[in-house]
Amino acid sequence: MDMKATKKKLGMKERYRALTRDLGWESSYQDKDAIFPYVNYEGIKVHDWDKWEDPFRLTMDAYWKYQAEKERKFYAIIDAHAQNNGHLNITDARYLSALKIFLQAISPGEYAAHKGFARAGREFPGVGTQVACQMQAIDELRHAQTQIHAMSNYNRYYDGFHAFADARDRIWYTSVARSFFDDAMSAGPFEFMIAIGFSFEYVLTNLLFVPFMSGAAYNGDMATVTFGFSAQSDEARHMTLGLECIKFMLEQDPDNLPIVQAWIDKWFWRGFRVLGLVSTMMDYMLPKRVMSWREAWEIYGVENGGALFKDLARYGIRPPKGWDDAEKAIDHMSHQFMLGLYQWSFGTSFHSWIPSDEDMDWLSAKYPDTFDKYYRPRWAHIKKLKAAGTPFKNYGLARLCQCCQLPSVFTEPDDPTLTCHRETVYKGEKYQFCSDGCKDIFDNEPEKYIQSWLPMPALFSELGGDVGAWMNWVSLRDGDDNGDYDGSTDQKHFNEWRGLATSNL
Amino acid sequence: MSYELTIEPLGQTIEIEEGQTILDAALRAGIYLPHACCHGLCATCKVQVTDGEVEHGEASSFALMDFERDEGKCLACCARAESDLVIEAEIDEDPDAENLPVRDFDGTVSRIESLTPTIKGVWIKLDKPEGMRFQAGQYVNLALPGGIGSRAFSIASAPSVAGEIELNIRIVPGGEGTTYVHEKLRAGDRIRIAGPYGRFFVKKSANVPVVFMAGGSGLSSPRSMILDLLEGGFEQPITLVYGQRNRDELYYHDAFLALAETHPNFRYVPALSHEPERSGWQAFRGFVHEAAKAAFDNDFRGNKAYLCGPPLMIEACIATLMQGRLFERDIYTEKFISAADAQQVRSPLFKAI
Repeated sequence: MDMKATKKKLGMKERYRALTRDLGWESSYQDKDAIFPYVNYEGIKVHDWDKWEDPFRLTMDAYWKYQAEKERKFYAIIDAHAQNNGHLNITDARYLSALKIFLQAISPGEYAAHKGFARAGREFPGVGTQVACQMQAIDELRHAQTQIHAMSNYNRYYDGFHAFADARDRIWYTSVARSFFDDAMSAGPFEFMIAIGFSFEYVLTNLLFVPFMSGAAYNGDMATVTFGFSAQSDEARHMTLGLECIKFMLEQDPDNLPIVQAWIDKWFWRGFRVLGLVSTMMDYMLPKRVMSWREAWEIYGVENGGALFKDLARYGIRPPKGWDDAEKAIDHMSHQFMLGLYQWSFGTSFHSWIPSDEDMDWLSAKYPDTFDKYYRPRWAHIKKLKAAGTPFKNYGLARLCQCCQLPSVFTEPDDPTLTCHRETVYKGEKYQFCSDGCKDIFDNEPEKYIQSWLPMPALFSELGGDVGAWMNWVSLRDGDDNGDYDGSTDQKHFNEWRGLATSNL
Repeated sequence: MSYELTIEPLGQTIEIEEGQTILDAALRAGIYLPHACCHGLCATCKVQVTDGEVEHGEASSFALMDFERDEGKCLACCARAESDLVIEAEIDEDPDAENLPVRDFDGTVSRIESLTPTIKGVWIKLDKPEGMRFQAGQYVNLALPGGIGSRAFSIASAPSVAGEIELNIRIVPGGEGTTYVHEKLRAGDRIRIAGPYGRFFVKKSANVPVVFMAGGSGLSSPRSMILDLLEGGFEQPITLVYGQRNRDELYYHDAFLALAETHPNFRYVPALSHEPERSGWQAFRGFVHEAAKAAFDNDFRGNKAYLCGPPLMIEACIATLMQGRLFERDIYTEKFISAADAQQVRSPLFKAI
């Protein structure tokens, strides 16, 4: 047998090292603390940055090549979607409410994540960390752009898509998602990684993506489905970055454990509150439903989250403090949200509606312990009011939680007939909360949250309480973008155009 | 119909069935390949095919680009073999792996001894005078007659005694294979073994102190490893934390006491979890992880740990080690990943433990 004389090739890991870590250098004429001023003040102790593992050995040149081909494929499908009147292939125009909420509240979050990772990549001293954050920053920018492009075709035909940037900045319900991301971005780099990289991208992302992407597929929206595929191929890298960061912190020093635990408690609860809107998409807004919120929670929350926290227990981490309260809320939250959205629908840049009898039967099958007992009677009452020509509208302004910024529409964990309300007095001022979880977060960092911009107080402080002026300010066109789906322009147009496309009338 | 799958940079060749995915074949053979979604969407399991043909299955066109298919990349979770394959995966090369080829060895049962009421020592004299080369910690498949099939057992003897292999076999209630060994197997019987298998061996090149944690019938590999280290003049501290329910089950206790006498770098920490109160047992009472925590004063930094025993013991030891500041990169377990494990919902937080 001949001897192999060829020199052994570098393994993938060695090649990666040569193209990333070997490019890092020790600073000589600048103090390290001056170069990385934000890495110490959170109290996280790091002894050896080289212990940071890069599970994805992707170099920048390869990265560009991948993303470029993803873009080519994505835009080919977006073009086809536009040319083939893809907007008429969806199951029903009610589906668009889910899209509108996503575009107004979540897509800007992708952009915020982009900014956050760009900053984290600059603030972490480790080369592996810098490269991973840099790539994720570009991914997130791409996600924001492609989501906006995927949905922009609907803007030509339907209401409520035209001013998502104004909605993002000013409208009341989007401040829920915005405050989440602002809170993360104004934290230190390690907390940012727990907030976005770990809590959002790992623990909660499936609860967001499954209903949204599967919902798009079930409801005929190929543009959004394609976005989903294109983004999911990045998500594995993102999840791994979040997990690696948490392992790194826990392994570097035992003093990091209580800090990390407190962040997990905080960001689980904040994430759970943001995702509350998704429960409503799943249970109420998708004309063709994928699964109930309860079912999604069982798979992605209980099963996957349970597996993760079982593994984290090896480090001494316990499940998030709000976990039990979250579990108790699962069978109630989508109903409480939808009732809230319906009664305040004059102020939403999307439509809501009273569920049909068929929808209500589905809901009672999926929520046998709660729907018929607590929520069907309310919908029945609201339906009666509408039939009598006196639809139920709540023109009072909601009391917002100082932390999550949602209206306090939730009930006590152990009493679904009693609204949950907590308050704290800080420096002589009273602050309101929707839950123990949100109150705890405030109490831990009151100076941060007393600075929150809350939309309801802003309506008075900035616009003197004039709802019409407020609508102009948030670019909401009264009578078009808001209100009941039943009787809306979206409903009328969709039915007309679909009729033209499928019959000879 | 099956093909051969060679996984670089390990250089290990395993069998892959027609229709079986590369990932499934690798995991079943105990080789961890990075993976996450398991249905072709996330691209975590992307590997390079350097020789042979694959069918890409349901790999998403976003997770596996056209140009990557042209370059010979595939997603291990979806790709199926259409010929013998060589793949290159992102696995760390292991300087301590000898990658010994697996062979069949015929031999004769030379001796059977009751080591405890539930464990028998079985010695197999191999026909080939040079015996079987193996790394301490590896296992063999023992072929049993009468349609029982083969069973995996770790080698309990040192590699220096290559001509006669020692296995320590605990009887599993209702287990066909172990019942046969305990009740039917006799000295003088002809027997065939295949091996050596497994990637559980001491990382000698790291040259740091080692701690072995063994319980139940998990003593075999640690014993072989310790004998090998001591024979080879390993100079770093070696600790064995070894647990059984009671004194009757604590086999090789006297031998380890004697080794500790003659080797100053070997420390022996026995632990009994269910020893009767008034027995004369003077050493530690409790579980292996508790004994280890006490012996190391909850600080395992700077060691490498090798764990062998029942799953609950392994889990408790991992948590103890991690809370004593020793982490995944320094913890090794003898891991047989069954098909059921591959299906189990586990978080991707840890890869090998």
